[in-house]
Amino acid sequence: MSGGDLNPAAVPLPVEDRQGDGRWMSQHTRFVQECKDGEPEVLFVGDSMVQLMEQYEIWKEMFSPLHALNFGLAGDTTCNVLWRLQNGELENIRPKVVVLWVGTNNHDHTAEQVAGGIVAIAQLLTNRLPKAKIVVLGLLPRGEQPNPLREKNATVNRLLRSWLPRLGQALFLDVSNEFLHSDGSISSQDMFDYLHLTPTGYNTLAKPLSDLLLQILEETPEERRASLV
Amino acid sequence: MSAEASNPAATPTPCEDSQGDGRWMSQHVRFVSECKEREPDVVFVGDSLVQLMHQFGIWRQLFSPLHCLNFGIGGDATQHVLWRLSNGELDNISPKVVVLWVGTNNHGHTAEQIASGIMEIVQLIHNKLPNAHTLVLGVLPRGRMPNPLRQRNAEVNKLVQDALSSLSHASFFNVDPGFVLSDGSISHQDMYDYLHLTAHGYQAVCEPLHAQIKSLLDKPLIIRAKSIV
Repeated sequence: MSGGDLNPAAVPLPVEDRQGDGRWMSQHTRFVQECKDGEPEVLFVGDSMVQLMEQYEIWKEMFSPLHALNFGLAGDTTCNVLWRLQNGELENIRPKVVVLWVGTNNHDHTAEQVAGGIVAIAQLLTNRLPKAKIVVLGLLPRGEQPNPLREKNATVNRLLRSWLPRLGQALFLDVSNEFLHSDGSISSQDMFDYLHLTPTGYNTLAKPLSDLLLQILEETPEERRASLV
Repeated sequence: MSAEASNPAATPTPCEDSQGDGRWMSQHVRFVSECKEREPDVVFVGDSLVQLMHQFGIWRQLFSPLHCLNFGIGGDATQHVLWRLSNGELDNISPKVVVLWVGTNNHGHTAEQIASGIMEIVQLIHNKLPNAHTLVLGVLPRGRMPNPLRQRNAEVNKLVQDALSSLSHASFFNVDPGFVLSDGSISHQDMYDYLHLTAHGYQAVCEPLHAQIKSLLDKPLIIRAKSIV
């Protein structure tokens, strides 16, 4: 399946500072610090799709009330997320749910490798947090019209759907179909650059995700009421 | 005489579709058709700092009422903006103000090259839209702590400000409200990844910018006779 070091998408790797301002490491360091300061019930981890969510109103409305932390980092591949989680971003915290959304930036890897990388991360999370549920989000389609990356992302989702159930703690949520119009196009009203979501686009994802999270959080033995506005 | 041929930052260059979903060209084509459909008084042009502005509430609040179009594309450097403006994004429109914000993504270029690239764009806009005023926004500092890119961006601003001081159709506007704190750091409350602005960061930038644009729009249109060379 994920094949350890045979799968390049499952090799932990930090991002090199090519631009010269050390921003990737600064963000990672901040996340590690947040693990010392916070007690999240929900942890979001992934790439810019995760990171950008925190900048919009939807985060304050739907996810902050659940005591969520956001460890999204733009540009990250499965390798980068793996490295971050192994180097401090899971220390001192015991979230009940981890939302994992990564894979669209794995340009050097095949769909099989990417799916294997995502499963490897889910496996790591299950090992480190045996009581947590892992919600893996499906990779969204990208590009204004049908193109090879859409097929690749759809293949990743297909593989995840069949591989994740073996992990027991992992759930898969895919809202891809909500973004495809009948002519196969994606609207800039949903993805302003045919990759990143607008506030409207995030609303489409947030409702089913929030419902799922509330369901999971309510299942756990301790009484905890999410303070909904 | 300027040496555009030997300055990559001042040579119109489209973005290559290295990922495979044609998103850059899709966005450019969309902007060109917006030029045919709309009659903006203000056009914003540049990189992700321009593009993301459009996603926050502040855009609808401050800029939509001024009849603005947003032609920002994430990742764009000066040579990309130069290409887009040479290939349709200034056609069929007669805005009174063009807001130009670009330069931070010119990796590998010197401050001099970047500044020349910006001035090349200013000249192009003046050639195509002789009655428009171009407002060139200063490139913001970046990175959590002091680093070479901050020095480069500051140098770009100095060179551009000098070059613009002799022009009547364009001016420099500093939108940095003081993001760098006394200890040299930039807060993630202002730039969530030490480059891109949060809603809070945009508030600090957009309020003065809005006031400046309004004052330009309120000026009577001066019809200049063609200058005799």
